[in-house]
Amino acid sequence: MTALLEVTGLSVGFRTRRGVVQALSDASITLEQGELLLVVGESGSGKTVLAHSLLRLLPRNVDVTGSIRLGGQEVLELRSGELRRIRGRRIALIPQSPASSLNPVRRLGGQLVEAARARGLSDEESRRRLRELLGELGLDFGFIADRYVHQLSGGMQQRVVNAMALVGHPDLVIADEPTSGLDSDLVDATAAQLQAISARGASLLVITHDLRLAERLGGRLALLYASRIVEVGPTAAFFRGPAHPYGRELLRALPEREGKSIPGLSPELTALPAHCAFAPRCPDRFDRCTEAVPDLYPLAGGVHARCFAHAEC
Amino acid sequence: MSAGSSAIGGSLRHAGGIGQRLTGAVLRWPASVRVAAAVLAVLVVGALASDVIAPLDDRAVDLDNVLAAPSWSYLLGTDEVGRDLLARVLHGVRISLAIAVFAALAAVVAGALVGVIAGTMGGKIDAVAMRATDVFASQNHFLLGILLLVLFRPALGGAGAIMLAVGLTHWPSLARIVRGELMSVRERPFVAAAVGGGAGRLRLARRHYVPHLMPAVGLAFVLTVPHAIFHESAYSFLGLGLEPHRASLGNILSDGQRSLLAGGWWIALFPGLAILLAAMTIGTLAEYWREHLHPRWRSELEL
Repeated sequence: MTALLEVTGLSVGFRTRRGVVQALSDASITLEQGELLLVVGESGSGKTVLAHSLLRLLPRNVDVTGSIRLGGQEVLELRSGELRRIRGRRIALIPQSPASSLNPVRRLGGQLVEAARARGLSDEESRRRLRELLGELGLDFGFIADRYVHQLSGGMQQRVVNAMALVGHPDLVIADEPTSGLDSDLVDATAAQLQAISARGASLLVITHDLRLAERLGGRLALLYASRIVEVGPTAAFFRGPAHPYGRELLRALPEREGKSIPGLSPELTALPAHCAFAPRCPDRFDRCTEAVPDLYPLAGGVHARCFAHAEC
Repeated sequence: MSAGSSAIGGSLRHAGGIGQRLTGAVLRWPASVRVAAAVLAVLVVGALASDVIAPLDDRAVDLDNVLAAPSWSYLLGTDEVGRDLLARVLHGVRISLAIAVFAALAAVVAGALVGVIAGTMGGKIDAVAMRATDVFASQNHFLLGILLLVLFRPALGGAGAIMLAVGLTHWPSLARIVRGELMSVRERPFVAAAVGGGAGRLRLARRHYVPHLMPAVGLAFVLTVPHAIFHESAYSFLGLGLEPHRASLGNILSDGQRSLLAGGWWIALFPGLAILLAAMTIGTLAEYWREHLHPRWRSELEL
């Protein structure tokens, strides 16, 4: 069986006045039907760009190479009409910051029904399904429908965009930083909702820099550093012991572990080095690390790591 | 609805019906706005009821009462052929206001359409639309209006030609406002979210851009109305607007100018006053509305 989503060698560069900003280099991920993949990395590591490329939500000044296959269909070659039928119906995006992702001057009922109808549902069917979805999230459609987004709490807003994403029975749900700016109760609630989405059989791609959320959600994890995937593998394996030095340093930096920050800064995306981008900050570097970019070397247990330390494995 | 949510619902909603809310809004108005609203209401009601208050007959010539000064039998006096000036001014307000409203509507609809198309399509269409806007805006709009009047008056009549002339000369500024607003709206996250949900250009324009533009467009419409009254008056005054016998404010003003030398000051005064009052009251209300839409501007001024 072919994977639901197969991204191969995806590179995304933004042409700017200061030169090309390489937001994503040679990224490859696969996602099976019903699987959960976490994309973890610091700000500017390319997480959101990866999510937005899957829906082709990128500005015009962008160069994209590589391949994104959704159920065998090449997303990068779709014409705008075909693209619209994929957006929302097959791939749904739960956007970053629900408050600003809903139109502030329209009542939510109209926006929700419109989203449902855009996914091919009839008016009646839309209402029935929204009632059901919001009900599962503990909200009443009638209550939500005649309100504006600013009249809801942050948690309610999050649930509204979650319901909106699920309304068209998508194969793949992308959640972009679903917990940014939420308090710990809401993080718990959001995690539960994401697990519920996953339990329905949809594949789930969660973009986050919240390592605690990642540990809770499980599934598989891809770690990004300076536009490259540096480690992929089961989430549990990552939290037991990361294979890449950046992963190890990242976990040590967690306050409940050692709280020890990583020295140095991540490199400028306009001037990425022609060697391992983490080498300058790496405690275990050796000569080869500053000579070439390592490949993603396979390790035991389905883990891959972009580090020369594993080149002999 | 569950008990919990209806309790929240109650506190979020405004108390009372529309009538009570309207009364509440009026009570919050500053005195100047209340006076303006009252004067405008008197003008509009007078204009609408003009057939009852003072029926108009353009041919009701009364040569025994030519140029009669205001008196109890003729509240605003009579004109140079003895017609009741009150009837003519009230009907003038009605005709001029109607022409101005439709002319402003034409300008606003045309401008909004050009702005939305340019802003939504972008690229070459945007460039062509905005350069066309520049060309229209770079001409003296009053002279351009006169040209349009001369061209279209035979076919459309005076009233229709004025609406067309004002409409075709006043859309550029609005097209720019609308396009500018659109440029900022389209960068907001909910637009990206809608696109991610499968929205095409048409749906974006209808469901997301236009609702955001309505306040600016509505305000532009209200501000264009008094301006259009000036245009109607000016064109009619020059003899290019409404047919001379019709009681528009500009026509009466034009008659009054001839009578001024014969001592008939009232004929020019009252239509002029009507123009002034209509423009001032609408302007005052529009200004209040603008402050209401952008409270930040007001607070900055008061700091």
